[in-house]
Amino acid sequence: MSAEVNTSGNPKVDTKKAKSSSLWLDSMSRLLKSKTSVIGLLIILTLIFTAIFAPYVATHDPTEQDIFNRYAAPSSDHWLGTDELGRDIYSRIVYGSRISIQIGVIAVGISMVIGVLLGIVAGYFGRWIDNIIMRFIDILMAFPSILLAIALVAVLGPSLTNAMIAVGIVGVPHFARIVRSTVLSIKETEYIEAARASGVRNGEILFRHILPNSMAPIIVQATLSIGTAILDAAGLSFLGLGAQPPKPEWGAMLSDGQAALQTAPWVIMFPGLAILIVVLGFNLFGDGLRDALDPRLKQ
Amino acid sequence: MSKKLLWSLFSVMLLVLLVVAGCGGDEGASSDDSGDDTNTSQNDNTDNSSNDSSSSDSSSSDNSDDKKTLVFGRGADSVSLDPSKVTDGESIYVTNQVYDTLVRYEQGNTEVKEALAVDWDVNEDGTVWTFKLREGVKFHDGTDFTAEDVVYNFERWTTSGEYVYYGYMFGASEDDPAGIIEKVEALSDYEVQFTLEEPNAPFLQTLAMPPFAIASPDAIEEYGDDYGNHPVGTGPFKFVEWLKDDRIVLEKNPDYFGQVASVDEVVFRVIPDNSARFMELQSGTIHIMNGMNPQDIATAENDANLQIIRRPSMNVGYMAMNTSKEGPMSSKLVRQAINLAIDKDKLITLYEGIGKPAKNPMPPSLWGYNDDIEDYGYDPEEAKRLLAEAGYGDGFTVELYTMSNPRPYMPQPKLMAQAIQQMLGEVGIEVKIVMNDWDTHLAKTENAEHDMAFLGWTGDNGDPDNFLYVLLDKDNAKVGSAGNIAFYKNDEVHDLLIKAQTEMDQEKRTEYYLQAQEIIHEDAPWLPIAHTTPPLGVSKKVSNYVPHPTGSEPFNYIELD
Repeated sequence: MSAEVNTSGNPKVDTKKAKSSSLWLDSMSRLLKSKTSVIGLLIILTLIFTAIFAPYVATHDPTEQDIFNRYAAPSSDHWLGTDELGRDIYSRIVYGSRISIQIGVIAVGISMVIGVLLGIVAGYFGRWIDNIIMRFIDILMAFPSILLAIALVAVLGPSLTNAMIAVGIVGVPHFARIVRSTVLSIKETEYIEAARASGVRNGEILFRHILPNSMAPIIVQATLSIGTAILDAAGLSFLGLGAQPPKPEWGAMLSDGQAALQTAPWVIMFPGLAILIVVLGFNLFGDGLRDALDPRLKQ
Repeated sequence: MSKKLLWSLFSVMLLVLLVVAGCGGDEGASSDDSGDDTNTSQNDNTDNSSNDSSSSDSSSSDNSDDKKTLVFGRGADSVSLDPSKVTDGESIYVTNQVYDTLVRYEQGNTEVKEALAVDWDVNEDGTVWTFKLREGVKFHDGTDFTAEDVVYNFERWTTSGEYVYYGYMFGASEDDPAGIIEKVEALSDYEVQFTLEEPNAPFLQTLAMPPFAIASPDAIEEYGDDYGNHPVGTGPFKFVEWLKDDRIVLEKNPDYFGQVASVDEVVFRVIPDNSARFMELQSGTIHIMNGMNPQDIATAENDANLQIIRRPSMNVGYMAMNTSKEGPMSSKLVRQAINLAIDKDKLITLYEGIGKPAKNPMPPSLWGYNDDIEDYGYDPEEAKRLLAEAGYGDGFTVELYTMSNPRPYMPQPKLMAQAIQQMLGEVGIEVKIVMNDWDTHLAKTENAEHDMAFLGWTGDNGDPDNFLYVLLDKDNAKVGSAGNIAFYKNDEVHDLLIKAQTEMDQEKRTEYYLQAQEIIHEDAPWLPIAHTTPPLGVSKKVSNYVPHPTGSEPFNYIELD
């Protein structure tokens, strides 16, 4: 799907000045004008950089235990202190960023693929197909998301992969709803009518014409969802249903550190901050993106 | 105008609703505790913290009857209050208050003293025991206690395999449901005689164990399968009510034949989270707690209102290796290698000062402990060599089953599992941690689903038999109800343990146990980890509290200010 965006976006890059009124470039410049979204973007870029270069950024092996040096306070050797097994918290957070990105991308990927497919089919074909799909979505929506995720993991068995699948499924309804409503308005437009009149097959109309034109809300939703997905997966790991030891997952780190909340607060504080900052980053960026892509804000 | 009126009416209603809701909390809570339990009703209003230390005094003066309520906070609820069917400490804790056994342990040690029986006699070869029973004792339901009731209870325990401890202690099985007890007879109203198939040295010690408490036959008949929710005994406290996963309320038995309790009521509350339970102790809403986070001990010691009382050590925490499973665990060399690959000094630091390293399957405080055995020590190179010799030079993957909640013999099982995962990883053994809650963990390990599993044992009667026979004899390696979760079957050990059971001469028994420990050490079905002195957090208002080494004690001696 992102390939579609590029093909429609690429030709315009060359003629940047001439065609500055294109949706994507316009939005980009608006996005960069907003301070909060730039902050969000910076946080995301830092996260990606840390994840890719984790071995160079970290100072210790994230799973190396030093049991005689448990709950050490932050020092020059252990920048953020050590945890309940004497592992370096800073290095664990650094390596944990890989897991967080993995969760964010894969879980949202799952929700996006399923959600977009369901939404587009429901919106385009309408009638009983729409009814069946949307009632199913309503059922999914009726559960509190974390509860549904817990139930799914309980069935699948606790592991990081299953946590990602569960969080992905929980996110499906949001995509399905947004895509459906977008499709409903696009399918009434004249160019779709024209395409249909000239005998273009349904599949082609859906994926060549409707989908690329509903990309903007999907992208916004995806960005916002990554933050939520990371948070949900951390919640699952906190409950012991996600990442299994010794994986340095942030939620699991929180859960392991809570016993020493009063005596060694850094064990729980820094992973908590990491989650907070990253989720904030995705939310700020997502909000900025939504404003930037909203055609009504076009000058 | 009318719109305005409607709005003001609406806001008045909202206000009234708020006030009612605000008061409702208090009313609901106190009616919950049958209105007289001042300390616990205070627990439910956690926002009412402004007067937490003084309110118990001030509010109890409001009460005309002025009850003293002792609140005991713990991590898990009882499984059943029929002690003959359970093995878990949380159930025994409560039944120890409600029931009496024929004989009881002295406070703080495992010497036996009179209880329902006032005198006893054994014939020369140790097979016929005669007990003279206390007269004038009544069950809580008002019926008289007689020799027939003792017979009834013992016969009940032979009727099915549900009575787990009876099987463990008297060698009962499906083919031989009565085990070594040939018959139990009432000679008169207050005299009962046991005839054993063979002498059993720990017999008297065993009778003092809480699972062999005498229950009211009338109540058992009346409640049937539901008896576990309606316990009726003769003990210092009577059962009042049980709100599952919340609390068990007991009231004092004023007609108790022993020392009548000083407190009027005992409440066992379930507070699963260790930190939350400790906070309640700090705020004074509970008086005694078990399962302290090691990190909180220092905090409690520095608190002017709290004290730490350590339970005398009579336990062992261990990692059992399932010898019955095909593959690496069935190889003695591999099991020895695992013992060598683990740095016990490091593991012990995870006990934060409450544990000592173990090398034998029984605690050093018991007679018969073999101190000549030298522990394996930490030698990863030797471990690798043994693994190669056993044909596992390239390593292998195993599952380590662990409980999620702390146990007295293992305060931080999850951390222990991770530490062992790391240490075994260094010699090429990849460990997968499988964590389950307590019930599930017990069920799965008894079912032999594990490769390796954590567990521990707190001695019940101060006899080595209660450790070695229960935990490592082939008789108790039955899939489904195993006490021996290493499923370790060694005939030589079995012979020694049976000989020790039937021998009445203590010196000879000691000799058998020393030998058995040597063989067990060599075969290495376990990684023995630690013996602990589990800390209890106790409010300074509580005095005369003497924790018993067997893990629970009756509360009738406790004084509460």
